[in-house]
Amino acid sequence: MAEKVPIGYECLNCGKIHYPKHGRCLQCKHQDFKNVTLPSEGTLITYTILKAPPTGIDRSSLLLGIIDLGEVRYTGQLEVEPNDIRLGMKLKAVWKKVREINGKPVSGFVWFPL
Amino acid sequence: MREVAIIGVGLGSRWGRFDGSLIEMMAEASLDAITDAGTDEIDAVFVANMGAGRINNQTALASALIDYLNLFPAVGASIENGPASGGTAARIGYMAIASGIHDCVMVTGGEKMRVAPAPVVTDFIATMSHPEAEYIYGITFPSLGAMLARIYFNKYGVTSEDLARIAIKNHKNGLMNPHAHIQQKITMEGILTSREAKLNNPMIADPLHLYDVCPVTDGAASIIMCSLEKAKEISGKRLIKFTGTGQGMDTMAVHEREDPTFLKAVKDASDQALVMAGLKRKDINFAEIHNAFEILEIAELESAGFYERGKAHLAIRKGETEINGRFPVNPSGGLKARGHPVGATGVAQLCELVWQLRGEAGERQIPNNPKHAYAINFGGFGNNVVATILSKT
Repeated sequence: MAEKVPIGYECLNCGKIHYPKHGRCLQCKHQDFKNVTLPSEGTLITYTILKAPPTGIDRSSLLLGIIDLGEVRYTGQLEVEPNDIRLGMKLKAVWKKVREINGKPVSGFVWFPL
Repeated sequence: MREVAIIGVGLGSRWGRFDGSLIEMMAEASLDAITDAGTDEIDAVFVANMGAGRINNQTALASALIDYLNLFPAVGASIENGPASGGTAARIGYMAIASGIHDCVMVTGGEKMRVAPAPVVTDFIATMSHPEAEYIYGITFPSLGAMLARIYFNKYGVTSEDLARIAIKNHKNGLMNPHAHIQQKITMEGILTSREAKLNNPMIADPLHLYDVCPVTDGAASIIMCSLEKAKEISGKRLIKFTGTGQGMDTMAVHEREDPTFLKAVKDASDQALVMAGLKRKDINFAEIHNAFEILEIAELESAGFYERGKAHLAIRKGETEINGRFPVNPSGGLKARGHPVGATGVAQLCELVWQLRGEAGERQIPNNPKHAYAINFGGFGNNVVATILSKT
């Protein structure tokens, strides 16, 4: 199986790319989209080191950030040495378990230093 | 449309931890508002609450409150709109009276949050975030506040000291508010610059410290509104008019906003409320701002247009937002000191505006006879925001 990569949703009318998914285009209200592969590398634009994670995260500290992928941005977990973290750093997405919700594991993208 | 006045307000006992039930807590605030209004002839009750179905195992709260207080034949409905539930319920109450459907409406907001452990409360708040793009990653509201703060720090030179300065001001105001949950004097040294500060005020979502974030609070608030015509007949109090209401929306996922530091919903809600009231920003004498995180006090003041982008923290450094300043902000102590029982907050903000406009705010009274007051009730992480303007008649 091919490695999982971030997916966006391109409006078939105006071409705007969305992430996450919407039922109607944020720009033109068109309803048809196609899945497009997003870059799996991006730039960190903000982050936090959360010392009080919610239920379902079995860690005392969690790194979260927003990553700019060019046409869209992505919110996700980061796996970076806290001392190395800085705005503008390049990160790469890896698909892995991110949390348990109602006792069930949930996967998503975790961003590692490039 | 008919003009609408607020004739009664109440917050019940001091906020913090309430030992009775959620309905008993809301009843206490409601009875205070009824006493203040001098009438219990209420046609409709709107109850604002976000999480009782999840953390208190109770739904359909308006039915329960009407039953408990024997407000029959009043009719009612519960309004859930995240942390903007209170402001939204008041807006709906306003619409009900302005339209002529009802004459007298009670709006009660309440949230009993201290029943659950902190991670559960944090998670229940986080259910407002985008389920696939934010929630699954463990995004919490403090983490969204922290990520906003980091952009602000980087872009506008806001510092941890600026946030602490806001917290110190809000605690100072809270000390003069008998309803406030947090009644504690704090100093820059105690929370930021001394060696002990690291213990007193740990980082909880870098760059936000404990004292940059609101507490978890039980609390309720209630207002009674009626048509201005009826208010003139029945109320012996100084009448406070509901002069403006606005509501704005934005994308649910914060990362989809072109500029995450610009809170579009705050601007839209504020513009609408000001147009409706026929006022300019300079006419507003003071504000209650939804500061679940102190960075939001800065961001909302700027997005609402009271300060230029990137400039509010400079005005705060000069003391402009103190009770005796040019533009007092959160004389109640705001969410930071009064507390933030989510469904109650928007209603409690309006209670504070009324007390201040009537000149009944005691030690924390804003001087020079304020005439027009503004509140912003911020739902989601700014994707659903209600602005309200109240004015002295």
